[in-house]
Amino acid sequence: MKSCYYPQLDETVCAQVLENGLTVKVIPRKGFTKKLAYFVANYGSVHGDFSLDGQTLRAPAGVAHYLEHKLFDMPGGRDVSAEFAALGAVTNAFTSYDMTAYYVSCTERFEECLALLLEFVSTPYFTEESVEKERGIIDQEIGMNLDAPDSVVFENLMGAMYAAHPIRVPILGTAETIRQITPQVLSRCHRAFYTPRNMILCVIGDVEPEAVAGIARRVLGERSPETAVKLRPWQEDMTCPTAEVAAVMEVAMPMFSLAFKCEPTPPGEAGIREEMVADLAAEALFGESSELYLRLYEQGLIDSSFSGGFETVDGCAMLLCSGDSRDARQVRRAILDQGRKLAEEGLSQESFLRMKRGALGRRIRGLDSFDATCFRVCAYHFTDFDYFRFPEVYHSIRQEELRAFLERVVRQERCCLSVIDPPGKEETA
Amino acid sequence: MIHTQTLSPGVTLRCCRDPRFKQGCLSFQLIRQMDAREGAMNALLPSVLLRGTKTCPDLRAVTQRLDDLYGASAAPMVRRIGDYQTTGLYCGFMDDRFALPGDRVLEPMAAFLEEILLDPPLEDGGFLDAFVEGEKTNLIALIESERNDKRAYAMTRLLKTMCGGDPFGLPRLGEPEQVAAIDPKALYRHYRALLRESRVEIFYVGSARPERVAGMLEGLLGRLERSCRPLPGQTGLRPGPGEDVTEVMDVTQGKLCMGFVTPITNRDPEFAAMQVLNTVYGSGMTSKLFTQVREKLSLCYSIGSSYFGTKGILAVSAGIDFDKEDLTRERILALLEDCRKGDITPQELTAGKEALLSGLRAVHDAPGSIENYYATAALSGLDMTPAAYMEAVDRVTPAQVRAAAETLTLHSTYFLRGGSQ
Repeated sequence: MKSCYYPQLDETVCAQVLENGLTVKVIPRKGFTKKLAYFVANYGSVHGDFSLDGQTLRAPAGVAHYLEHKLFDMPGGRDVSAEFAALGAVTNAFTSYDMTAYYVSCTERFEECLALLLEFVSTPYFTEESVEKERGIIDQEIGMNLDAPDSVVFENLMGAMYAAHPIRVPILGTAETIRQITPQVLSRCHRAFYTPRNMILCVIGDVEPEAVAGIARRVLGERSPETAVKLRPWQEDMTCPTAEVAAVMEVAMPMFSLAFKCEPTPPGEAGIREEMVADLAAEALFGESSELYLRLYEQGLIDSSFSGGFETVDGCAMLLCSGDSRDARQVRRAILDQGRKLAEEGLSQESFLRMKRGALGRRIRGLDSFDATCFRVCAYHFTDFDYFRFPEVYHSIRQEELRAFLERVVRQERCCLSVIDPPGKEETA
Repeated sequence: MIHTQTLSPGVTLRCCRDPRFKQGCLSFQLIRQMDAREGAMNALLPSVLLRGTKTCPDLRAVTQRLDDLYGASAAPMVRRIGDYQTTGLYCGFMDDRFALPGDRVLEPMAAFLEEILLDPPLEDGGFLDAFVEGEKTNLIALIESERNDKRAYAMTRLLKTMCGGDPFGLPRLGEPEQVAAIDPKALYRHYRALLRESRVEIFYVGSARPERVAGMLEGLLGRLERSCRPLPGQTGLRPGPGEDVTEVMDVTQGKLCMGFVTPITNRDPEFAAMQVLNTVYGSGMTSKLFTQVREKLSLCYSIGSSYFGTKGILAVSAGIDFDKEDLTRERILALLEDCRKGDITPQELTAGKEALLSGLRAVHDAPGSIENYYATAALSGLDMTPAAYMEAVDRVTPAQVRAAAETLTLHSTYFLRGGSQ
């Protein structure tokens, strides 16, 4: 494996692309007891349209997540969770808009845990009966989300902000769309996207890098089937079809999510650079050290629940903020005004440098978290960037880039607001 | 591994020197007996202190100072540990070795902590009215927002029902009306009393030697006029009368919580057996509740049990369809009955133990988890290092797990459902 040392972070990463196309990255952390392995498919809820073996297909919404649940089933009545538990390991998985991640965390018998992780994720086994039974569980998960205002306020925002991009639909799908999911649908999606070439294995902890690559070779074999081609049969411009969406739920305080539509970021370093520029612009616009944050906080229009930043998903990107507020429309107005002001006047050089130093320090501190680090290494890998190069990108960012970003993005026509009011407090039109 | 020293009467510094991390942490906690008369003030205080100091007059100046310290953080930390409530601050900061040549983070961080704690801007013999009023509104919103997370809300309601007059039933952050009644002068007087009388626990994790950390804190401690009062020990639960409560709200999914009491607390030798029982019965993906109620019967997505060792409460929570209440109750009780009869397979026992052991082995892998384990264990009466705790778990026999299950008695239930009032 090729080993690379990053002196600014005091980190080493060993990486290799195996013969079957799988990327393996190992971050050795000497002296730690926990070992964490992430096995991730570059496949999420927005990848419903694809072509495979010459056929164009559209999968029902929610299939990536359904598949994540069902991959834990194994032939011969084997119980993967019990096998992990016997090894003293904790395993779980999650599905996002553009990734599906399976992970195992353990302190002992790591090599057995890793082999089991790779085995179960690469073994599709779906029976009519088990797929049917899962529907009850996922129905309950959907129900739970419908009662979670944080999810609803965001999902409503996506539905209002995008005309056609599949981010409009919740990751779990809906009670209706999951009815269409059958063992055949699951098998086809597994075949389409769970190919070594479309996946990454990232391991962090006190492990032997060569051993990790060896286990991956042994369990996954040399076969390297073609991955499906992701199709994007939608058109999305930079305006929002709906400017505002409101709902009523059992919440204590009115809450909101507000976003500005941004152009999708390109792959590679250019994309990461845009992302870091956008993150700093968000910090300058409404971060805790900004003029606007202080003003809104002192006026009682936002509180410590307020947060924001730049989010990217395959095919879309947004500058986003959310929190509780008694008057979200006033917050929106203030952000639009401040965006215009900052685009014109810029920041003092001192503020800009301080912000960069703060952002860089927070990222370095974040590397102590095994989970966050594995997640980022995988996510950035799928956008063709080596995450550990972030310090050099930060150092090269200039203030003019922030101004240009704010000028382009913080505009009325790109802005969408989603609000949730408590019962009895909804505004009458 | 943990270096403990008494810096002055009632002030303990615990240091975990560990050069592996990229960040360090420094926490400062004042320990109080949980008391309805001051709970809200204790919860409010750190947020008011973080609003500004004499040299950083507003929130923005505070954040800029933290950005200068390479994106350090200082956050309010209010915990409930059995009969105690703690109030204070938690600082996280980058290790010195990543700073620019000649720059240090640790000493300026400790100096800023001192400033936040001891140099608040004052007016008219109290804290600034604007800071106090603003943070009161925020704290009330925070308390009320618990309602947004229906699972946590249901669990809080269950615990309150179970606790009767026990201080464990008091809310960690106080009641909204208690917060609303706080005035800046009374809060300032209370703050002075807290600094004078309370037991203080300071915890550090990072690459510095304990002597260096103690040296940095000399200034802060020298400014405290101490007259420390002794703190009573933790006590077992004094439960209220049992109740079955149903509440109606506009929700899609019901939340069923069932609370059991046991005389076993984390101060008892049977503690490890009770933890193993909790894991076998209801914690994690191999537990009886998860494998039977979720995986076999598809009754729910989320189900699990939690053991509150400071008091001796085991609580089960499940998210279910409204019409599945009776069936779920019946299964939850039947699976506990299986544990009481000793119907636990060797695989279940091993899995339960391994899950606990794995968590304990990893305690030392992150500054936050080190701080959380030691800072709370010492106060809750759990007088064990993770290593000693692991040995105790390892020694637990099936008979002890069964005996632990036999001590559990159903006390109260709570069901949150939708529909009309």
